[in-house]
Amino acid sequence: MPMRPEVLKGHLDALLLAVLEAGPQHGYAIIEALRVGTGGALDLPTGTVYPALHRLERAGLITSDWETVIGRRRRAYRLTTAGTRALSEHRTVWNEFSAAVTAVLTRRPEAATT
Amino acid sequence: MTGPPARPADERLTRYLDEIAAALHGPRRRQRRILAELRDGVEQSADGRAARGATPEQALAAAITEFGNPTAIAYAFHPEMAIADARRILGWLLATGPLVGIWWLLLLHPQPWHGSPAELITAIPVTPLIAVAVTGTLATFAGTGRLIRWIPEAAPATALTAAFSVAALVLAGDITVIAVGWSQATSTALGVVAVGASLTRTAGSISAMHSIVTWRHRLTP
Repeated sequence: MPMRPEVLKGHLDALLLAVLEAGPQHGYAIIEALRVGTGGALDLPTGTVYPALHRLERAGLITSDWETVIGRRRRAYRLTTAGTRALSEHRTVWNEFSAAVTAVLTRRPEAATT
Repeated sequence: MTGPPARPADERLTRYLDEIAAALHGPRRRQRRILAELRDGVEQSADGRAARGATPEQALAAAITEFGNPTAIAYAFHPEMAIADARRILGWLLATGPLVGIWWLLLLHPQPWHGSPAELITAIPVTPLIAVAVTGTLATFAGTGRLIRWIPEAAPATALTAAFSVAALVLAGDITVIAVGWSQATSTALGVVAVGASLTRTAGSISAMHSIVTWRHRLTP
């Protein structure tokens, strides 16, 4: 089932940076990578992904350039050094956060005492 | 000589992008970039569908549906475009500082190269306003630029408020310097240039403030 964009609040930057870690990508390819890579769970709308890419570029975490591919102009995004560092920090925070949440959510209440 | 007639699919994509363009505001260059990116994205999506067997018309229709409502897409860019506009306005106000200020300095302190820094600063009657405006501008640039990796990010509304405040300070500064400086003018020709520069910027500041108010309305849910 696709997740609602608001569920991803706070994690969207990390997801976009992670997709770009493999190499430069254009906007629609990033949307596709998230959709395909999560089996359709992260089917993010255009209006969420493109503005987020522009914000990451403003923050200096990614950079972009026009490329011409088969006669078509395409804006390709790539990670900057700062973006690579930020992704590493996001991973550390996520690992700690998910371990803590998993520990709580998987805890079963003990059998009720009689 | 005219080119080949546009295919129905091309016309539909152009109409879709025109609808987005009609609801998109902010710096023109950014608008062109966004529209070019969206065009490429829709075409990519349509190509993928056509490769899986859809007709060009079906593929484009499905791609447009996937991208969504044109007005909603344009609105999704509003926060970024508001910040881009606030930064553009602040950059313009900052750049005009020396361009306008130099004429007033030459008018009020005819030989600035013979004066101490303190004398030059006190020669301009609006130095405190300039200091506050420059500080506000630099703080807003920091809170909306690359430094947001380390410092709290300024929200679009905050950036717009800061830009409005700086424009208002610049406006007040120009009016004050015209009122006070003109009476102390030592050269009529230089005075006309200085007043002309300040009046030109006053018009720009009022236009910028109007633009910011319009942005505030657009961002209000």
